[in-house]
Amino acid sequence: MSEHMQLSLALCRIGLYTCFRALCCKGPPPPRPEYDVVCVGLTGAGKTSLLSHLCSEGSDHIVPTTGFSIKAVPFPNAILNVKELGGADNIKKYWSRYYQGSQGVVFVLDSASSDEDLEAARNELHSALQHPQLCTLPFLILANHQDKPAARTPNQIKKYFELEPLARGKRWILEGSSTDNMEAVKESFGQFISLLEDKDTEPARI
Amino acid sequence: MSYSCTSRGNSQDTSSAKKTAGDNPGTGTGGADSSGSNDSPKKTTAMRVKKGCNSTEAGVPMTSEEDLLSSALVTPEDVLGLQKITENYLCSPDDNIYNIDFTRFKIRDMETGTVLFEITKPPSTDKTGDKRDIDPNAGRFVRYQFTPAFLRLRQVGATVEFMVGEMPIDNFRMIERHYFREKLLKSFDFEFGFCMPNSKNTCEHIYEFPPLSEDIVREMILHPYETQSDSFYFVDNKLVMHNKADYSYNGRT
Repeated sequence: MSEHMQLSLALCRIGLYTCFRALCCKGPPPPRPEYDVVCVGLTGAGKTSLLSHLCSEGSDHIVPTTGFSIKAVPFPNAILNVKELGGADNIKKYWSRYYQGSQGVVFVLDSASSDEDLEAARNELHSALQHPQLCTLPFLILANHQDKPAARTPNQIKKYFELEPLARGKRWILEGSSTDNMEAVKESFGQFISLLEDKDTEPARI
Repeated sequence: MSYSCTSRGNSQDTSSAKKTAGDNPGTGTGGADSSGSNDSPKKTTAMRVKKGCNSTEAGVPMTSEEDLLSSALVTPEDVLGLQKITENYLCSPDDNIYNIDFTRFKIRDMETGTVLFEITKPPSTDKTGDKRDIDPNAGRFVRYQFTPAFLRLRQVGATVEFMVGEMPIDNFRMIERHYFREKLLKSFDFEFGFCMPNSKNTCEHIYEFPPLSEDIVREMILHPYETQSDSFYFVDNKLVMHNKADYSYNGRT
């Protein structure tokens, strides 16, 4: 039923839009700029869930990603072509095969994971920050699963990951995230898009 | 009125949208602008989309199907020179030595996010047996039925999901060409690059509808299935798969 409504609404929108264009003799709005970004993080960090939510897709069918998933994620002022890579051990080893051509990096971690896993995430992030094909790119680091009781705060993550010394001179943003609050996630991405648009180096900020 | 998309594996099948079909879904149609160009001098395996509209733009000589059918090896440059839809498949189903299997296809309107069409293939069935004998090409042809409203869309996201067998693929590339009668509407060239062994991968392209005159739109609606596409898949510049589709735009709700 709601699918029917969605289709009808979509059609109404398109109908209205077409009328508007015809009446106002305006061409279509300029296309949004597109940026290619790679999204990595350990398995279970929540990469697929976050991206699905950003695309207004349900999360019922989500299973661990066993390869790559390229998605066009629309934002008001840009489209991000996100290359998301599975985080399982047998897939992680292939991450660097996908770095070439990226303009930004999204790194997702589970803030509520065990100390061991958090350390593994830190190591992966450090590797990515230093990788020749990624080291000059803007990073969006999402301390995900903030809704869980065991979640470390973004500040704690920032300290533990030693981002300030390590990522000095690079452009990065670290924000807490949770699929319970997608508005905040969209805002984080909005900031990230500003970094992508900005050709000059900006100081790191949290 | 609403969108109505159905997929038919062959002319006898009248499955409706969303129903699981036994055949390979159509290939993704779409292209995203690659906003950064690759400066690396060596051959890139990065994922990039090149948009070209005709063979002179792509800088390749024109080719004919007859030439390609007689040659042992079909390369990307060969198909970029084709001026019309092929009558025959340019490779056999057995050429798919990497066991690439398309398992899902979805189209959504980028402006509203509405899913317009989705089809999934059930877990791989036994490839030997009666089904094969009936029509070896059944798995590589899809017929789409859309309403006229579909042609008014500006941007759709087309998602393809595919599985890869045990051999890793270094350089996987798709070239898809859409024609109305003998006119090339749009050509897409997408390099997936590296595909991990035993992986399931999804890829969504944003497909921007080419500007179509009112005359052509009218003709496309009036002449169902004269809009057709060839999708060619290459591994290391050798053709391994060739899928086909045709389209109608005169559906009613």
